[in-house]
Amino acid sequence: MERRKFLGLGAGLAVAVAAAPSMLMAVNYREKLPDVWKIKNDEKAKGEDMNGVNAAIKAIFGTDKVEEGKIKLKAPAIAENGAVVPVSFKAEGAKKIALMQTADPETVVAIFDVPERGIPDYSVRIKMQQTGHVVVVADIDGKLYKADKVVKVTVGGCGG
Amino acid sequence: MRIKAKLKGDKTEVKVMMKHPMLSYRQAKKKGKEANFIVYVTAKNEGATVYEVSTSQFLSKNPYMKFYFKGGKKGEEVEISWLDLKGKTKTGKAKIK
Repeated sequence: MERRKFLGLGAGLAVAVAAAPSMLMAVNYREKLPDVWKIKNDEKAKGEDMNGVNAAIKAIFGTDKVEEGKIKLKAPAIAENGAVVPVSFKAEGAKKIALMQTADPETVVAIFDVPERGIPDYSVRIKMQQTGHVVVVADIDGKLYKADKVVKVTVGGCGG
Repeated sequence: MRIKAKLKGDKTEVKVMMKHPMLSYRQAKKKGKEANFIVYVTAKNEGATVYEVSTSQFLSKNPYMKFYFKGGKKGEEVEISWLDLKGKTKTGKAKIK
């Protein structure tokens, strides 16, 4: 009896745990590509290291063959407050978009999957603890395109 | 969560502000707390997914997002859900104006 009770409870829990994420998930890249989020920027390079970005592009898109163009990226040239840096980008026809930066300890900020009715014209606010590059890479018709902008941060955003 | 959805011609514009501290690993360490931040956000319009993003610790505190999707009608609902690192979820709704 005890054992049965225990098993029953276990099954119930398992269902609850499994059901919660699956209601939301289509492509959750935190689960699908857990290591992508751990790719690091070289902090000694003071926001100039692109190795993290290149590694992330390869991990997310499977190739690092990237062309310039097709993406309109807007970010402030100077951000007075690194805790809130508005970034927006348009990448017409994109199926998948990655937003990265070189200013924080890790590289990847967000990965967008564009649904059928989605319009890849997105704005978010990000944190940058120092001056660095904001990089957007988009998969448009099977080709990768990149846009890059330097944001000069006068007060850091990750200090607390 | 504050959501505004507005019909603009043949597309709908959505602005959302999610209430979340978005504590990065570094910030959390400084404060002696556990890191926690929103990792996944989706938006639906009448059951169809129209926006989807996996996110990291480097979105600002109380993340703000703006996006567009094709279609949508006045009076229809836009439903936005987020999931954080600790597994907590929250859903908010707004009617398209």
